[in-house]
Amino acid sequence: MNEGAPFNVIGKPLPRKEDRRFLTGRGRYLDDIDLPGTVHVCFVRSPYAHARILSIDISEAEQMPGVVAVVTGEQVNQWTAPLRMAPPIDGLQPMEMATLPVDKVRFQGDPVACVVATDRYLAEDAAELVMVDYEPLDVVADMFEAMKESAPKVDDALTSNLVSHQTFAHGDTAARMRQAHCVVEAEFRSHRQTHLPMETRGILADWDEGRGHLTLHVGNQAPHPYRSVMAGRMRMKESEVTVIVPDVGGGFGQKIAVYREELTVAALARHLKRPARWREDRLENLSAASHARENVARTRAAVDANGCLLALELELYEDFGAYSFYPANYLARVIAMILTGPYRVQDYAFDVKIALTNKCGNGPMRAPMAITSWVMEGTMDAIARDLGLDPVDVRRRNILSGNDLPYTMATGETLEDINPAEVMEKGLAAFDYEAFRRRQIEDRKNGVYRGVGICNVVESTTYGSKFYKAAGIPGSGHECAWVKVEPSGAVRASAGVMATGQGYETAFSQAVGEGLGIDPANVAIELGNTDVAPYGMGSRGARGGTAGGGTLYLAAQAVQGKALEIAANLMGLNSAERLRLADGVVQQFANDAWSDTELTLADIARVAYLDPTRLPDGMDPGLETLKAYDPPAMTYSNLVHICEVEVDVHTGEIVIPRYLIVENCGTMLNPTIVKGQQLGATIMGLSGTLFEHVVYDENGQNLTGTLADYLVMSADKAPEIEILDLSTPNKRTPAGLKGMAEGGVMGAIGAVTGAVNDALAPLDVVFDRHPLTPDAIRGKLRDRI
Amino acid sequence: MKPGRFTYHAPESLDAAFGLLGEYGDDAKILAGGQSLIPMMNLRMARPDHIVDIAAIPELTGISENGEQVTIGSMTCHADIVAAEVLVQRCPILPTAAKFIGHHAIRNRGTIGGSVSHADPAAEWPLIAILLDAGMVVRSSRGERRVQAADFIQSIYTVDLEPDEILTSLVFPVLAADEGWAFQQISRRAGDFAIVTVAVTLALASGGTIERLRLCLGGMDVTPFRLKDVERDATGKAPDATWMDEVAHLAATAGSPESDMHASAEYRREMAAHLTKQALNTAIQRCRGGDG
Amino acid sequence: MEKVAITLNINGQDFDMLVEPRKLLSDAIREDARLTGTHVGCEHGVCGACTVQVDGRSQRSCLTFAVQAVGKSITTIEAIADEDGGYTALQQALHEEHGLQCGFCTPGIIMTFEAYLRENRDPTNEEIRDVLSGNLCRCTGYQGIVRAVKVAAERMRGGKSEGGQS
Repeated sequence: MNEGAPFNVIGKPLPRKEDRRFLTGRGRYLDDIDLPGTVHVCFVRSPYAHARILSIDISEAEQMPGVVAVVTGEQVNQWTAPLRMAPPIDGLQPMEMATLPVDKVRFQGDPVACVVATDRYLAEDAAELVMVDYEPLDVVADMFEAMKESAPKVDDALTSNLVSHQTFAHGDTAARMRQAHCVVEAEFRSHRQTHLPMETRGILADWDEGRGHLTLHVGNQAPHPYRSVMAGRMRMKESEVTVIVPDVGGGFGQKIAVYREELTVAALARHLKRPARWREDRLENLSAASHARENVARTRAAVDANGCLLALELELYEDFGAYSFYPANYLARVIAMILTGPYRVQDYAFDVKIALTNKCGNGPMRAPMAITSWVMEGTMDAIARDLGLDPVDVRRRNILSGNDLPYTMATGETLEDINPAEVMEKGLAAFDYEAFRRRQIEDRKNGVYRGVGICNVVESTTYGSKFYKAAGIPGSGHECAWVKVEPSGAVRASAGVMATGQGYETAFSQAVGEGLGIDPANVAIELGNTDVAPYGMGSRGARGGTAGGGTLYLAAQAVQGKALEIAANLMGLNSAERLRLADGVVQQFANDAWSDTELTLADIARVAYLDPTRLPDGMDPGLETLKAYDPPAMTYSNLVHICEVEVDVHTGEIVIPRYLIVENCGTMLNPTIVKGQQLGATIMGLSGTLFEHVVYDENGQNLTGTLADYLVMSADKAPEIEILDLSTPNKRTPAGLKGMAEGGVMGAIGAVTGAVNDALAPLDVVFDRHPLTPDAIRGKLRDRI
Repeated sequence: MKPGRFTYHAPESLDAAFGLLGEYGDDAKILAGGQSLIPMMNLRMARPDHIVDIAAIPELTGISENGEQVTIGSMTCHADIVAAEVLVQRCPILPTAAKFIGHHAIRNRGTIGGSVSHADPAAEWPLIAILLDAGMVVRSSRGERRVQAADFIQSIYTVDLEPDEILTSLVFPVLAADEGWAFQQISRRAGDFAIVTVAVTLALASGGTIERLRLCLGGMDVTPFRLKDVERDATGKAPDATWMDEVAHLAATAGSPESDMHASAEYRREMAAHLTKQALNTAIQRCRGGDG
Repeated sequence: MEKVAITLNINGQDFDMLVEPRKLLSDAIREDARLTGTHVGCEHGVCGACTVQVDGRSQRSCLTFAVQAVGKSITTIEAIADEDGGYTALQQALHEEHGLQCGFCTPGIIMTFEAYLRENRDPTNEEIRDVLSGNLCRCTGYQGIVRAVKVAAERMRGGKSEGGQS
């Protein structure tokens, strides 16, 4: 650390503690946990996208050697409670979903029966023997078709497939449109994608008949909320259910909800009185886990002749699929709320419609609001195009700088401690935008189509309880942590968030080490076990750093406070004011300098636990703290992505010779881990824009069930990325943390699309939908080149 | 995704393999490298009752050369073809094409014979075999027969192989020292199934005109195919831009490509033209002593 | 269907097991030899998580039946270490360059490159990316892995490494 840096261990690029077990094959993922007598589960899934279930004949499957049980919704729905998704949100239709469907299936892959056998091979054999008689129904696989009156209903209990519809207006957009120099319209279509964690979903349910207790080993990002839902649907108390999350091979939002398969396996373990496990295979994961995105956005921007934004209207649609495992408005609403992000505009209105279709249900995927920045920046590019202005000039005229803050957006959210203008300028300078434009002109003379895309992002990171309340979403944004110093001086800490690969054990040990004044190497972080961890809201969005790390930091500071009070008492001082812990040793401030005393944290801990008569009067023995923390309504990070592409107009292939990021993500617990998140998020965004696509045909058949069909960006296609930092701390959070890890997805989508459009501008084409495949590029260029 | 049940046989001689294939007929499937068969079995799209693993039959593996031809045992893996010095010297298009197959781990196990017998329309070996008029050596208890590649590969996933027969080796002509060649492919990512592939061999006469040409397209029909008319007409022509444009146009209009998720038929046609030009240029450059 | 008794040599040790012929090598390694560092990610040969070495060459263990591996020498991630049981150059570089996050794809990547770096001692970034394209990673964006392989190769050649952050 530099001299004068505010922290000793926060901000150090320490290598990760987690790595040793992963590098040596000693990680412990769900499949690696073995309980004697475990049975294996395989689901029978619907081949139809929409069909009535007339009958299910399990007799032949039941008789197969090795088969323990075959069950359908008839039994499972008696053992479990249905999911009622009915938060009190205006315009949202409540939905109720049985654990397994008994009347009809709603998408190809819907589970209708479940085979339990002594191994997975046998379970798959038996699943083939389950005979289901279906009566196919009309299928609706397109959201705009679904919203028509005549469309077949996906959920018969709803009044229509329009499961959610919300509007908002601030100011008078219509008046501004009338007054404007012109109104620029643009459209953006993102396509269906899926999370694709390298480890698929799964669960190992262990029923303890003697204690009447259910232990669930499951890869999940939010163990306590998961336990609450699971207990409710199992008709048990939370005290009767333990959730233990082992190492998780990626989540990206797919591992939050209680899925129907997991609930079925838990119910089966209790029914059969033996451990039961299910590990999803890749075919299931791609077709029946959870999908994401598939939005259509239309903007209308009122601008003056200089491209200054006067008003903005957003029309947004999302294809939510067949079921609602999350409130249907959850993802699209955030897009609408933060759309204007880095730009000044007060007259803003949105209209958000969510439709059900006969496809796998949607859920939050890393950056649920992923499309946001592309929509906003694409609108900026459209303004520049229509007015014949440089896209950077248009941004400069509208972007918020530090001087504009705090800035209350039209939606009522207040932005502070961000610096969009400064970040963009630093990016443009590092990229040398002017030189690029000269190079671009030269190259075009030689038939080389080079372009640059700029995407400014304001990333909503940590959602506090006040945000939930204001947005009408039930739930809390607080987090909880404990820090314990054991009698020997060993330090343990836990929080309710759960890692799925991010490196929490390392980053959090730095937060605790900083707060307590010890070497982070001596902090053991214990996450994921609901019997050990305090009740917290889990990992979602980008809350790990601020909610998780921030709460641990505060808890550790509290423990340090108590330790120093004990130290003062032991040293015969009246106050602990001039004491601190550094690297586990009590230091005293005297003669303008800190110097070590002979007292260590271990000495203090021994007294706290084993010699309590030496504690200050009235102090409880022990040395531990439980601390809850509710972050501000919202914290924001901001960043710019600048992407250079070269488009081969003959093949439609896109090469990314340069990719630059400037980011302000506040105080970093560990910059190495932050960089890992920036890189991973960016490639995920590029992958989604250029490669990934869940494809359904008009009959609702999923055509992308394997990894040879659902393409993700591989190393040969991924660009090298440069990252610059322009971080400023958040003044309202512990240690100035903000959180990050989703903005990269948002930035990449907008930057690469903008770059392609810039490159091909001489050919007078605009790409407004994804994925940008070579074939799609050629499709538009075909008449021109 | 677990395969269905089967009985496993691992004969150590061709005769033993013939016996098993004769006994089980259509119920048996030959397992070569398994890099196409096993995924299909895991997905339960293929479910043979008997698997005859021919890996233990020694004479099916290896590469030999006799001056005019190279013979490659059907169980030779792609990686060994990439690394074979004799092929790099005498028929360099073979190791080059092999590098386009899948990834390292796949090339270490997948075999040339397995690939040709599987006859995936996007695969590299059927295309190269057809390009070079390779001879397919097929044996059974009834004896040995030799089929030209274009006859062997009949349609998508369909080859001229009876249930009791084994493809034992492939015989390729070596390229002449002054013969140029090129292998051009477009796929979404490294190692993915090809969208379109174009392979060319070309020799120039002393005057600079074309002496002989082979040109084969993949991804444009149910099997790879040669542009025989183009090849015939090329002899004596100057390999100039006009000619190349003409050939590229013929390539684009040849065959009957289908649209799928990864590429439309129109795109395949465009790429056939584009890659044909690239391939011809590369081959000509190699003829003239460049390294392409 | 009858199970067959086989012996697999994994990491220099013989494991006797009774398996159906259809049992995939990946499952036999994990369930019968209880070596769970080999991960199953797709079971159709695309993701590369299950990559092991068979007679020193990288192969997909999900695209091989266990019965096919009899008589071969199988190496899994659990055997990858230097002579003193510490990290190999590749493991060390992956650690330093943050070349892993959730760790699920990591064993497959290590098994691929421990073999590859014996073949090619001085790979270019482009070659590394080409080889790495056979292993999907959803967390890292690949950059740290590419750099780690480069650094490891340099160290293995005995040259000096640039190391550090890129």
